[in-house]
Amino acid sequence: MDRSLESWQKEVIRCIRCGACQNVCPVFKELQAESTVARGRVKLIRGVISKDLDLTDGFIDKMSLCLMCKACVVNCPSGVKVDKLVEAARKEIAEKKGLSPFKNLIFRLVLKNRWVFNTGMRTGRIFQGLVFRKGPNGQGMLPRMSLGIDKRRLLSPLAQKPFKSMYPGVVKVSEATMRVAFFTGCMINYIYTDTGRAVINVLNQNGVEVIIPSLQNCCGTPVRINGDYETAKTMARANIDVFLKEKVDAVVVACGTCGLSLKEEYAELLKDDPNYVEKAKKLGSMVKDFTELVVSLEGFEGKMGRLPVKVTYHDPCHLVRGLKVKEQPRQIIRSIPGVIFEEMTKADTCCGSGGSFSLYHYELSTKINDYKVESVHQTGAEILATGCSACRMHIEDGLNRQGIPMQVMHTAQLLEMAYEAKGLTAEKLMKI
Amino acid sequence: MRPEIIQKLSEIVGKDNLYTELEDLYCYTYDASFVKADFKKDLAGVAVYPSNTEEVAQIIKLANQEMIPVVPRGAGTNVSGGTISVGDCIILVLKRMNKILEIDGKNLIAVVEPGVITGQLQSEVERIGLFYPPDPASQAFSTMGGNVAECAGGPRGVKYGVTRDYVIGLEAVLPTGEVINTGGRTIKNVTGYDMTKLFTGSEGTLCVITKIIVKLIPLPEAKSTMMAVFPEIVQACETVSEIIATGLVPCSLELLDNIYIRNIEEYAKVGLPTEAGAVLLIEVDGDSEILAKQIGKIEKICSRLGAVQIRVAKTKEEAEELWRARRSAFAAVSRLRPTIIGEDATVPRSSIPAAVNRIQEIAAKYNIIVAILGHAGDGNLHATILTDETDLEEMARVEKAIDEIFIATVELGGSLSGEHGIGRAKSKFITIQTGEVGLEVQRQIKQALDPNNILNPGVMFGA
Repeated sequence: MDRSLESWQKEVIRCIRCGACQNVCPVFKELQAESTVARGRVKLIRGVISKDLDLTDGFIDKMSLCLMCKACVVNCPSGVKVDKLVEAARKEIAEKKGLSPFKNLIFRLVLKNRWVFNTGMRTGRIFQGLVFRKGPNGQGMLPRMSLGIDKRRLLSPLAQKPFKSMYPGVVKVSEATMRVAFFTGCMINYIYTDTGRAVINVLNQNGVEVIIPSLQNCCGTPVRINGDYETAKTMARANIDVFLKEKVDAVVVACGTCGLSLKEEYAELLKDDPNYVEKAKKLGSMVKDFTELVVSLEGFEGKMGRLPVKVTYHDPCHLVRGLKVKEQPRQIIRSIPGVIFEEMTKADTCCGSGGSFSLYHYELSTKINDYKVESVHQTGAEILATGCSACRMHIEDGLNRQGIPMQVMHTAQLLEMAYEAKGLTAEKLMKI
Repeated sequence: MRPEIIQKLSEIVGKDNLYTELEDLYCYTYDASFVKADFKKDLAGVAVYPSNTEEVAQIIKLANQEMIPVVPRGAGTNVSGGTISVGDCIILVLKRMNKILEIDGKNLIAVVEPGVITGQLQSEVERIGLFYPPDPASQAFSTMGGNVAECAGGPRGVKYGVTRDYVIGLEAVLPTGEVINTGGRTIKNVTGYDMTKLFTGSEGTLCVITKIIVKLIPLPEAKSTMMAVFPEIVQACETVSEIIATGLVPCSLELLDNIYIRNIEEYAKVGLPTEAGAVLLIEVDGDSEILAKQIGKIEKICSRLGAVQIRVAKTKEEAEELWRARRSAFAAVSRLRPTIIGEDATVPRSSIPAAVNRIQEIAAKYNIIVAILGHAGDGNLHATILTDETDLEEMARVEKAIDEIFIATVELGGSLSGEHGIGRAKSKFITIQTGEVGLEVQRQIKQALDPNNILNPGVMFGA
């Protein structure tokens, strides 16, 4: 998709400036300036197209103030694809003004090259203690020095071993009824290996054989939404090649953002690449979120023990508005015996993470997060389940800042706990 | 804007509540209207976000002293060009003054600051069984201050009236910086001129509203919804007149024409016959015992006047499904052409068939697409022009057509604007309705209150 910014003219004029986006934009809710709501962003982009405005620092800043949460897109009466417009503006900025040196290094050297990323992350695990200190209560870690990211940002430590090195390429089960390939995504591979383990355990127990292609790399979303299309395309092609090689019934993801990238963005990104556009569509048609796959498996509810806990659920933006997965995780949670499911208010508003947004606009991102933490807290739940590692990290950070003791986990982990509880006696259960 | 003015403003509101960057100011050159500000000429000098009446008064005093134009603004959702910047002016945004100060169930009133979102007030009062009826399409994001300044209406106008019918008192800052209190907390109040009603709908030209007292009514117990499909639009229009004449007052009576029907059906698949001339969406509310009887009567009228299909919602979900057609109307037609211009000519209810006819003639004459989606119950027809603003030749025809629609509306005994306001969009037409004397009286009122013409210059009276 090598569209010039000008080619978005038709999309831009579809904004009738009604202002409905003011009602849902999490950034606007905080900043209140007209330039920080979708309608303003669209007008600014229109200004650049009509040459009223240049790619000034002010414009670049306004374009960076978008979480890409799609709340405005689904709420827009004329269906303006605001996220796509902001992405096109960022692409224009990246091409005309270049990326920041930090982003350049991360996108073009690290994320694109699997072995550099892997080596970096493995080395990083050893050296992270030099750069980060432990967070309060021994949870997470805080930056010791300025990395261009906020020093108060609680990051989860890198895992002892990357997820992919913990498992063989094929996790077999006897009498498999289905074969799926697991796209792990970066955060599961390097940080939340517990989520990855839960995905495998749950699928295995349902007779699903899981393949973990070792040559998969980052889905490319952080690169694409920051405007570096060339790198994003290279990464998309590599993942398409890796996954289409596998003979599987589905490609399972446990992250809404990765999922949306594989399912829809690749096909759009490679629209003009005759060698890949069909392949991208084929891969897209195979992608299923973990929860979508699980609810389609017969008898998945039968294997659960009792979990006497109160649970609430947060909808990740790209899972609920991207992959349109809303009911499946709730269905899973509600089916666990003993679980009391308490819906929070505004479960589908953004947690404020926005991937790298939270690193560059930490203050703002925590304010947005405060509302989420408040609605999570009000449910009185002991466990917050969600379907995205970035949300998990950001909400954990928020709960930590406010001193609220609550476990945050992927829906897969909750289900894994329920399966484990099956064999447990009441006495052992007390200890959980 | 001179740096010392910015400095003084910054001292009043604090530097975090003031914007001077090009990209920020660029976003005050528009509102939801079709009025185009000339960015080079009309860019504001500064945007300020005060937090209380005292700050507003200080800003206005300064502006009046220095003769700087001030454009008051809420959510910027008006559709008449009432809040766009006019040169080196101060954009005065009241969104930070967003507290519901009081909901008084004993006296059935609420007191709010101007930045409160209308929908938010509605859900708060509904929680205790009360009702604030005005329901502009923007209610989920427009502000009470803006609704009062524009005298916003909505579909419920047919039964419950408009914003003006609910505002009983105001606190406002006059263009000279003094604070005035009008009306009060009582339903009956004839002390002096009715300044409350004058300020309501004054479009930011006479004062800046800083506090609003509205009356509330008990929340109707239940609702019942139905839809009737007619082969010809004229049958639907007659049905509207007949329902009203029978003494039935639905709380919404919405009319969709064939262009809407076809597009809605293609887009949302709600089961509308695409050859139908018009659809009426009718809702009644009140005590649950009387609803079935009312709907029954309306059903009979619809059948008698030629409805070929009638659907009465039996459950909440079915009602929701019927409303889905209406709600998807906009998205549906926006697929057809990229630019949508919504007009709000309003005629006496008995003139609806004639008005529809005239609008269709004008559309044919200029070869443009005009769809009609109206609050038919109160004669408020929303002629929707579907066009493409990048096509300059077509846009010229559109402008001519709009001018003719205005004139036709007034000829039919209607109003230039039912609920959108005059703003900058219709100021050149104002005399066709008010007459020269009418305009002159309004001008003198403006002059008396705002001798330096600093508040929203250009709105209503033209540049």
